[in-house]
Amino acid sequence: MQVFKLCLNIIKKNLHIMLIYVIVFLAVSLIMSSSMTGTGKAGDISFTGKKVDVAFISEEESALIDGFKHELGKIANFVEIPDETEALQDALYFRKVSYIVRVPEGFSEGFMRSEDVRLEKTAVPNSVDNIYIDLCIDKYFNTARLYVRNLKDISQEALARYLESDLAPAASVEMITNGKENNDHTYANYFYNFLAYSLLSVIILGMSALIFVFNDRDLRMRNECSPVKSGSINMQFILANLLFTVSAWFVMVLLCFLLNFKNSLSMNTVYFLLSSFVFVFCCCGLSYFIGNLIKSKGAIGAVCNIVTLGFCFISGVFVPQEYLGSFVLKIAGFTPTYWYVKANNEIAKLTEFGFQNVKPILSDLLIIIGFGLAFFTAALVAVKNKRYA
Amino acid sequence: MFVHIFAYRLKCLMRDWETILWTMVFPLVLGTFFYMAFSNLYTNEIFNPINIAVINDEQYAKNKSFREALEEVSTGDERLFNLSETTIDEANELLNENLIDGYIVVEMPIKLVVNNSGINQSIVKSFIDNYIHASSAVETILSIEPEQIQKIIDDIGNRETYVSEKKSTGGEPNTILLYFYTLIAMTCFYGGFFGMREINDIQADISSVAARVNAAPVHKIKAFLFSAAASVLIQLVEVLVLISYLVFMLKLDFGSKTGFVLLTAFIGTITGFSFGAFISAVVKKSEGIKVAVIVGVTMICCFFAGMMQHEIKYIISRKAPVLSYVNPLNLLTDSFYSLYYYDTFSRYFKNIILLTVFIAVFCSGTYLMIRRRKYASI
Repeated sequence: MQVFKLCLNIIKKNLHIMLIYVIVFLAVSLIMSSSMTGTGKAGDISFTGKKVDVAFISEEESALIDGFKHELGKIANFVEIPDETEALQDALYFRKVSYIVRVPEGFSEGFMRSEDVRLEKTAVPNSVDNIYIDLCIDKYFNTARLYVRNLKDISQEALARYLESDLAPAASVEMITNGKENNDHTYANYFYNFLAYSLLSVIILGMSALIFVFNDRDLRMRNECSPVKSGSINMQFILANLLFTVSAWFVMVLLCFLLNFKNSLSMNTVYFLLSSFVFVFCCCGLSYFIGNLIKSKGAIGAVCNIVTLGFCFISGVFVPQEYLGSFVLKIAGFTPTYWYVKANNEIAKLTEFGFQNVKPILSDLLIIIGFGLAFFTAALVAVKNKRYA
Repeated sequence: MFVHIFAYRLKCLMRDWETILWTMVFPLVLGTFFYMAFSNLYTNEIFNPINIAVINDEQYAKNKSFREALEEVSTGDERLFNLSETTIDEANELLNENLIDGYIVVEMPIKLVVNNSGINQSIVKSFIDNYIHASSAVETILSIEPEQIQKIIDDIGNRETYVSEKKSTGGEPNTILLYFYTLIAMTCFYGGFFGMREINDIQADISSVAARVNAAPVHKIKAFLFSAAASVLIQLVEVLVLISYLVFMLKLDFGSKTGFVLLTAFIGTITGFSFGAFISAVVKKSEGIKVAVIVGVTMICCFFAGMMQHEIKYIISRKAPVLSYVNPLNLLTDSFYSLYYYDTFSRYFKNIILLTVFIAVFCSGTYLMIRRRKYASI
C-alpha cells in the first residue's frame, strides 16, 4: 500500500490550505445559525404586516406629531440615528434605515391653519419601502385634513384623539396556507447550498495536488519500473481519492448535523444528504479533469478559486437564485452547482415524499451525475492525449 | 541608468504570468461574477405595480366609492396595482400560481386574501385600511357636523401629498457599488505581490538575483527605486484596466469626479505596493509565508471593509470607528464611496491623508529594514 500511503502524506502536507476552507465554512455556518435562532418560525400561519426601518427626526413637539409617530410606529421600526447629515446618509446607504422622515419646525401649526406644509423625506428612490411609508403618511394627514377643514377650531389634542380611534380598525386578512405542515428548513437549505463552495474548493485542491504529483514525468517513470502492478497502483490511487473525498463530505455534513441537530431528523435531511453526495461525485470528476489539465503548482490555486467562485456566484450559492437575472441563470444552467442548488431549494420545500413530489429533485440529481460523467470522460481524453504526446 | 533598469525590470515582471494573473485577471473575473450575482439586488428594491385581483361580485358592483378608489390607484404610470376583476375561483387559482400577491373580497369589512406576509401584501392592506379609515373619519365628522356632507365629499376626492423628497446631491444609495469599491481596494493591495518581489530581488540574502544586483556598481536605493517604478507602473495600469472595465463595460457609477477617482487609484496602488514591500522586509521567512501574510491581511481588511457583507463596514464605523481608520483597505473603499455618495470633499480628504500616513509608515519602515545591508559572504 505504498501508493496509498504516499497519497495520504501528500494530502496531509496540503491539509492546512484545505483547512482554511473548512474554517471559513464553519464560521459562516455558525454566523448563520446564530442569526437564525430567534427567527425560527415554523412558516407563517397568520398575516403579519411588514415593518420598515425608519429614522424619525422631529424639530418640533406637538400632539399631532405624537399621534402621527404612534400611527407610523405600527408599520415602522424607529431607529435612533444622530441628526447629522453624514450619519443619516450612511445609515440610508447601508440600509440601517430605508426611510428618513423629518418634521420641520412649525409643521403642525401650519397644518392646523390648512397651509401647504410638508414633511421632508430621504429614501431609496422608487423603492417599495418608500411607497409603503408614503402611503401611511399621506393616509394620516389626509384623514386629519378632513377634520381640520370640516370641524372649526378643532384642537391638536382632539384631532389626535379622533384620528387614533378612526385609524384603529384594520382590514381583515385571510392567510391561505393550504394546511401544509411547513417545517423550517431554511438553515439546512442555506447550509447545504454553501457546502457547494467549501466542498468544491477542498476537493479540487486535494485531488489536484495528488494528481499533479503523480503526473510528474520522472515520478511516473520511476513508478512504472517498480515491481508493483500498474493496476494495483491505480487501485490504491483511486482508493485514496475516494477516502479523501468521502471524508471531506462526511466532516462537513457532520458539522451540519451538530449545528442544526433539532431540524435534522426529517426526511428532507435524507434528500439533502443524497444530493450533496451526488454533488461530491461530480466534484471528483471536475477535480480529476482540472488536475490533469494544469501544468504548474501555482495554477492549482488560481484555477480552483476562479472555478469555485465563478460557479458559486452565478448559480445561487452566495446570492439566492431568485435574485439572479434570468440571463445569468441560463448561463448557470451549464454548471453542476446550479442544479445542486436548485435541487436543495426544492428539497427544502418538500412536505410530501411521493414519487411525483421528488421527481423534479431526482431529475436534477441525474443532471449532476451527467455532469460528473462528462467531466470524467473529458479528463480521460486529456489523460490519453498526454500519454501519446 | 534609470531607463536601463526600468525597461528590463518591466520586461521581467511582465513575463511573470502568475503574478499578472492574480493581480489583474483575478479581480476582473471576480468583478464580472459580482456583477452577474449582484446586479439584480438593487433593482429588486425598486417598486413595481403589485398584481392583485378583486372579486367581481354584486357587493363590489354596489360599493361605488371603493371601486372608484381602487380604479384610481390602478391606472396611470404611477399606479400601485395591476388590477384584474375575477371570480373567486379564478382568484384562488391566480394566487396558487403566485401570479397575484393577493385578492380583495368586498364584504363588511373588506377582506384581503393572501398566501404570505410580504411587503407587497402589506401595501395592499395599507390601501384597504386607508379606505376604511377615511370612511370612519367621515362618519365621525358627520355625527358632529351633519350639514358638512357635501364639503366632505369634495374634500375626500382631493387627496394631497404631505411628503416632499429631499434630493440628495450625491449618488443614489446603491449598496451594490460598495462591493466593487472593495474589489478595487483589494486589487490595489494585491500590488503588494510586486512590492514583495522587489524586496526579494534587492535583498542579497534572499535571492541570487538580488546578490547579483548588489554586486553591480549602482546605489542600492537607486536600483530599488528604479525597479519599483516599473512595478508601480504595471500595478497602476492593472488598476486602471479594472476601473475602466467596471465603468465602460459594466456601466457602474463612480460619480462625476473622475480626476479624484484616478488620484485615489494612484494612491491606492502606492499604498498596496509599499504594504507588500514592508511585509516582505519585516517577515524574514520563506516566500510562501510572505504571500500568506499579504493575502491574509488583505482578505481580513477586505472583510472589515465590507467585501463579503456590506453591513460590516457600517457596524465597524459606528461601533469601533478606530478600526475603520487603521484599515487602509477601508480607507480606500471609503474614498471611492465618499466620492460617489457625497458632494463634499471633507471625508474624502480625511481618507486620503490617512492613506498617505500609511504610505509614509510602510516606506520608512521598509527603508530602515533594507538600508546598509552588506554581506562579506552569503
